[in-house]
Amino acid sequence: MRHLNKLAALWLIGAGLAFAGPQDNSLVVGTSQEPRVLMGDFLDVISNQAIKSEIQQYLFTPLIGFDANSQNTANLVTEVPTPANRRLRAIDIGGGKKRLEMDLTLKPGLKWSDGNEFTTDDIAFYYEVGKAKGMPVLNPDYWQRVRLTVKDKQNFTVTFEPAYYYDTYGSPISYAPAHLMREEWNKVKAAAAGLDPDKDAQRLNELYRGFFNKFSTPQFLNSGKYPSMGPFRISRWVPNSTLEMVRNPNFPIIPAGGADKYVQKVVYRFIQNTNSLLVAILGGSIDATSSVALTFDQGRSRQLTSRTPGRFDIWFVPGAIWEHIDINKFTNCQQVADLQLNDVRTRQALLYAMNREGLVKAFFDGLQPVANTWIAPVNPLSNQKVQTYPYDPNRAKQLLAELGWRPGPDGILQRTVGNRTVRFELEFVTTAGNAVRERTQQFFAENLKQVGIAVKINNAPSSVVFADDFIQRASECKWTGMFEFAWVSSLSEDGSLFQYRNLNTGAIFVPTKDNNYQGQNIGGWRNDQFDRLTSQGTIEFDEAERKDLFAQAQEIWAREVPALPLYFRSNPYVVRKGLVNYVASAYSGGFGYPGWNAWEIGWESRGAQKRWDQAKYALSTR
Amino acid sequence: MFAYTVRRLLQMVPLLFAASVVIYTLLALQPGDPLDQLRQANPRITAEQLEALKRAYGLDQPIYVRYFKWLGRAVQGDLGLSRDYGISAAQFIFQQRLPYTLLLSGLALLISLAVAIPVGIFSAVRQYSTADYAITTLAFMGYSMPVFFLGILLLFLFAVWIPDHLPFFPRFPTGGVPGLLWSDVRSGNVGFLAFIGQWAWHLALPVLALSVIQIATYTRFMRASLLEVLNQDFVRTARAKGLSERLVLYKHALRNALIPIVTLVGLAIPGVLGGAVITETIFSWPGMGRAIFDSLVAKDYNVAMAALAFLAFLTALFNLIADLMYAVVDPRIRYT
Repeated sequence: MRHLNKLAALWLIGAGLAFAGPQDNSLVVGTSQEPRVLMGDFLDVISNQAIKSEIQQYLFTPLIGFDANSQNTANLVTEVPTPANRRLRAIDIGGGKKRLEMDLTLKPGLKWSDGNEFTTDDIAFYYEVGKAKGMPVLNPDYWQRVRLTVKDKQNFTVTFEPAYYYDTYGSPISYAPAHLMREEWNKVKAAAAGLDPDKDAQRLNELYRGFFNKFSTPQFLNSGKYPSMGPFRISRWVPNSTLEMVRNPNFPIIPAGGADKYVQKVVYRFIQNTNSLLVAILGGSIDATSSVALTFDQGRSRQLTSRTPGRFDIWFVPGAIWEHIDINKFTNCQQVADLQLNDVRTRQALLYAMNREGLVKAFFDGLQPVANTWIAPVNPLSNQKVQTYPYDPNRAKQLLAELGWRPGPDGILQRTVGNRTVRFELEFVTTAGNAVRERTQQFFAENLKQVGIAVKINNAPSSVVFADDFIQRASECKWTGMFEFAWVSSLSEDGSLFQYRNLNTGAIFVPTKDNNYQGQNIGGWRNDQFDRLTSQGTIEFDEAERKDLFAQAQEIWAREVPALPLYFRSNPYVVRKGLVNYVASAYSGGFGYPGWNAWEIGWESRGAQKRWDQAKYALSTR
Repeated sequence: MFAYTVRRLLQMVPLLFAASVVIYTLLALQPGDPLDQLRQANPRITAEQLEALKRAYGLDQPIYVRYFKWLGRAVQGDLGLSRDYGISAAQFIFQQRLPYTLLLSGLALLISLAVAIPVGIFSAVRQYSTADYAITTLAFMGYSMPVFFLGILLLFLFAVWIPDHLPFFPRFPTGGVPGLLWSDVRSGNVGFLAFIGQWAWHLALPVLALSVIQIATYTRFMRASLLEVLNQDFVRTARAKGLSERLVLYKHALRNALIPIVTLVGLAIPGVLGGAVITETIFSWPGMGRAIFDSLVAKDYNVAMAALAFLAFLTALFNLIADLMYAVVDPRIRYT
């Protein structure tokens, strides 16, 4: 009988956690990705998966948070450094460069979930590991510029040299539990002492990965030894199934009304197949979806929308992923010269000919906003008053006529170059197998045909088109026309996607043989004024001045359209009615995931108070 | 037979070497490298920093150097680190993935055989009866049903539609493995029966999806094989000498009819251990198929190499076992 009772109870759990949610003040989040490791891999050396970053928001609260309005908030420190409180100092160091000094003070009485004191020693430990020779970090530029000075157990200064404005966004540094990891780290340091980062890079990499791995596997984390400094701590991780987190009683931020009014347990359910995840939502066993869950099409599918009224809200959060078409402007390519793709009027004509508003309405129900520049509208630096290109095929035809194009016998434009007749046949590359892009491509091919431009589709799998010897080789005419893909429009925007030369560092961003094909300005656009404005903007710490510099840069960009901006992608979220403060915006928490304010996520029926409204940051099918 | 087995085992060494060279070369020749994604994700990364990372991952060396380094370590039992999971590729494949595949695909194979062999026999014995036609029709339906469709259909029916309409119908899980570990049983938190029950509950739909097509296949094979044997002279002789139909069928006909089935199953086992990528994906089952697919997409070469080399080894091994089984089940075959 005892077995039967247990069986019945477990059956209910397995049958979809159907009784989770407000009934037991828990939250079940469905996701299609499982973190490979958590917590111990604090420099993301083993993995930098999106789901890892999302879940770790529950376990490691940043010293300074970044809320849904892209505002800094002091989480574990007493206040956010600003010039006004004299904790932030930008100092000229000559050559147009600046040094930034930030004084921070930890809140008094901070404790890890295991009861150990949280001090500057934990920050110093993080810094020491990050600075270790040959550490294969994914953001080496940060580690080259940052310096830490510890004053005492509570006070420390973080210095950036050279400094950029985005160094003031969010937390300037992180932390790791020195009391748990230092002993093992000392062994690793001793083993690495005689190794040369150039000659023994692989050995060093293995040593470091072994160190992080030791503290980040499900087996280790299930031992309960790894402490949390977030509102939750891991209670159980069953690989390929679920990750359970329960409240950390030592967490210093108490939400309105008391922590007991908010969710006490968060369960991440890993369902890799998004169709199966959709079925799980319909079955009622999921309270909310993570940032890595349903696809855009699944989010607005009839199966979901017809079954959710009254049960779930479906939100589409416009994010920072910028879908666009890059254009080859290297005139050493015959095709580029023939089609005059380096002429701004050609690019403007292409943009006028493409019905982006129609595309967004027809394919995305208007839930993904049309882009006018490469900077997301949600970025504080965005300038929305730039030249726009509404669908206007007549204007496109007129511009093309000015460039000497005349309709040929088959309706496709042609012109005479020397003694040759050139047809306006344009190569269009994108990632094969990406249904949305392939549909978009067909839509635009039809648009372009209407103005007399023939499109030659040349798609290949992403591993082919994003390989170094393709995407970076426009200068060698590996692709000669248009190339549709996406960039993440970073909050710490520096214009490097379209700079020829960064005047602060001297780096060239147009990939050619001369710079070993480095840089993201793959189409080869060059505008010295743009370079000057964006380089200056990146080291401008006065917000108004910086906005003005970037606004001017965007005006130039929108006039010249070095790439054709299409739209910003939206991420769908399904959230059960009554769940409050489970909110994502384009840059919430820095990455745009929900859970950045995990301590205040709760059910209204259990007394949780709503502070954040998803409607402010998202679109809905309603 | 012993000499033959030893000879065949020795022949496997150059075969596996050649297979590993081909697999490694094909993996290395894939377009792009593991750093492409990083380059896309971090526009600020410089050429020097990328070179340093290439050195750290050993990607700066020529293919043949990388291969022989891998081989040198592999023969000592070190299959390298998984770049994606941070653990050894062997641990990932053999501890974290193979057991799940054994459970799912092995169970599906056992159930398929347990159902298909009697049904195939019944169908053959009752050839052209209504039951035979019905079994044949169902077998063709099962055979033609794509598993990606059947899987989603089963999920929708048993996890959504039926429980929505029949409140007392249990809602099946939508995928994944149960949140119970064997350590829960050992620590006494969960009873053994409850543990088994949970796993059976989660396995039910994926095993069903995987079994349907196998049942259909083996049923058709069993039927065809038995029909062929039943029409042979020795069966007629057995009947003529007055043996009961039961004895004729089970002692004389069936043993002979099972020979091709044994071969078929033997050769199917490497495929079984290689996982069922579509079923595993639909039901979020962490098996070998998905591990291989994911490692190829993520260019996690050590994991892909470990898994594919293991499958090459299994294929060679089970070919040998199938050949040896011929001799066991068919006394007419002798190896020297």
